[in-house]
Amino acid sequence: MEKFTEFKNIVTDPYTYCRKYKEETGNKIVGFTCSYTPEEIIYAAGALPFRLFGTDEGIHRADMHLQSYCCSLVRGILEEGLSGRLDFINGVVFPHTCDSIQRLSDIWRLNVTPKFHIDLVLPVKLNTTSARQYLIDVMEKFKKDLESALGVKITDAALSDAIKLYNQIRKLMMKLYTLRAQKPETLKGRDLHSIIKAAMIMDRQLLLKTLSDIVEQTQKAPASKMKPETKKLLLTGGICSHPDIYDIIENAGGVVVWDDLCTGSRYFEGILDEKAPPLEAIAQRYLDRDICPAKHAGLTDRGESLVQMVRQHQADGVVFMLLKFCDPHAFDYPYIKEMLERENIPCMLLDMEEQLPAGGQLQTRFETFIQIL
Amino acid sequence: MITAGIDIGSITAKAAIVDGGKIIATKIIFTGYNAELAGQKVYDEVLIEAGLGKTAIDKIVSTGYGRNAVGFADKSFTEIMAHAAGAYFLNPLIHSIIDIGGQDSKAILLDDKGKVKNFVMNDKCAAGTGRFLEVMARALEVNLDDFGTMSQKSASPSKISSLCTVFAESEVISLIARGEKRQDIIAGIHESIAARVSSMLARIGVQKPAMITGGVARNSGVVLALSKKLDMEMEVSPYAQVNGAIGAAILAAAL
Ligand code: SF4
Ligand code: SF4
Repeated sequence: MEKFTEFKNIVTDPYTYCRKYKEETGNKIVGFTCSYTPEEIIYAAGALPFRLFGTDEGIHRADMHLQSYCCSLVRGILEEGLSGRLDFINGVVFPHTCDSIQRLSDIWRLNVTPKFHIDLVLPVKLNTTSARQYLIDVMEKFKKDLESALGVKITDAALSDAIKLYNQIRKLMMKLYTLRAQKPETLKGRDLHSIIKAAMIMDRQLLLKTLSDIVEQTQKAPASKMKPETKKLLLTGGICSHPDIYDIIENAGGVVVWDDLCTGSRYFEGILDEKAPPLEAIAQRYLDRDICPAKHAGLTDRGESLVQMVRQHQADGVVFMLLKFCDPHAFDYPYIKEMLERENIPCMLLDMEEQLPAGGQLQTRFETFIQIL
Repeated sequence: MITAGIDIGSITAKAAIVDGGKIIATKIIFTGYNAELAGQKVYDEVLIEAGLGKTAIDKIVSTGYGRNAVGFADKSFTEIMAHAAGAYFLNPLIHSIIDIGGQDSKAILLDDKGKVKNFVMNDKCAAGTGRFLEVMARALEVNLDDFGTMSQKSASPSKISSLCTVFAESEVISLIARGEKRQDIIAGIHESIAARVSSMLARIGVQKPAMITGGVARNSGVVLALSKKLDMEMEVSPYAQVNGAIGAAILAAAL
């Protein structure tokens, strides 16, 4: 499908896309580092929210600023910032989540700029009564910060429009995920990955349109012909930037039917209340959404929702993708593994660098895991 | 039913022919740079060894890192599945397998029926593998086959602290320069391998009885160091190096 080519081009070379977008529309571009960024507010300010994914190539500038025990995602993002390749962005938002991102924010402020730089100081606990009001205040402040940084006024009407647009996008993403879980052969895992990554980069209006087309086509596609021996897997962890994983799994006789990645279902989960005051609705989504381990909401909430996710999608096993030196996710792993084991759900740990280990051995690990399921 | 198993490893290619419960023939050759060719060659040779023609073979399964290069196989399984099947065939009581091959090492946990319960792989680096030993043998100018007997003469093994093959090699060279005895250095190398492998095992928990497979199992020094470190007997099968190929042939019989 040529639609996928479009997505793939954006994902392989987001910078060219962004430069062109800026030239053609005159809009500003605001970078963000984590899925706890209220994109709706950025969009309402007339700017394009652009998720920074970093790079895995030729990192040398970032190493001068970072310790060796820092995850490769943060390392890659800093490298891109220092290299000047991100000169088209007007500023960056750093949500207060894991330690690495907080320190990235400091290093960025001191070394990258002179563009604007906003820290979004979210509460750590998301399940208390005070957290809600606090979060709303944070959104309020973010709105003001953004207004002065971009020199615009963000109206309630613009916020409502942004919320409506994002709701539509999220519903479509959800639908696409659901359709694909039912008939996995209609869409390669790799392509789905491109779509969701592109969703954090490209013009959201265009995204909405293209996404509708793809959903429609997937809907029309004939019902599942999935081989009965194909094993259904669920990916969990933080961010996945390895489209190859999907190919490896598919070649090994499996298929990814769902995930709880922040470059996955956590990105589109949660529909906003269109009738509530906009900032409250935005804040509420973060309170309701499945948490990422950099936040807190009950000791075992994430594990429980993972088990539920496995049941709902009838997954045969879970792959826990752990980026080396990612401490929040590493902290979660032991208890989640135990919990899955108690429920008799097989789980495989995949610890990885930003670059994947040599292909052959990874293939062997996945094949074996799938063969013993 | 007569079946064949072909195991294409990074250094050697192995083949086995099994008839029901009996191993008829096995063969080991060097893989070289062409895995596909190695597969054909080792198969031809094992057939000669067995005195059988191609038509006598009912099913063929390939395994090992080059398993997909064996075009004539009916099916392929990963080496983990093959080693499990092989070990279970050789001794159905086995619950853990430690496989140390040419460029990686694995630990496999089996249930009572020989099914793989869990596994870990060291696929990040070659330290503690056959390749590592080859590098050390070259540095020490000792034939690798003599490593086992030599190390057992050592009274005080040297300490090798580097985990990386390249650094460990220079460490060994400086030990030689310092005049340490060869046997002590070799014993030290075996202990460092045992330490590495056992830390990998700790991640899944070894259960007795355990078997060691793969080419490195031929090195009695490593086996000894490992049993000391883990404080348990290590069963070494005479078929250790061809265990994967035998397992593949067993899996072929179940196709
Ligand atoms: S894993 Fe959590 S902290 Fe890390 S980028 Fe995703 S949402 Fe943010
Ligand atoms: S959550 Fe983990 S992977 Fe994400 S930025 Fe933080 S340390 Fe890195």
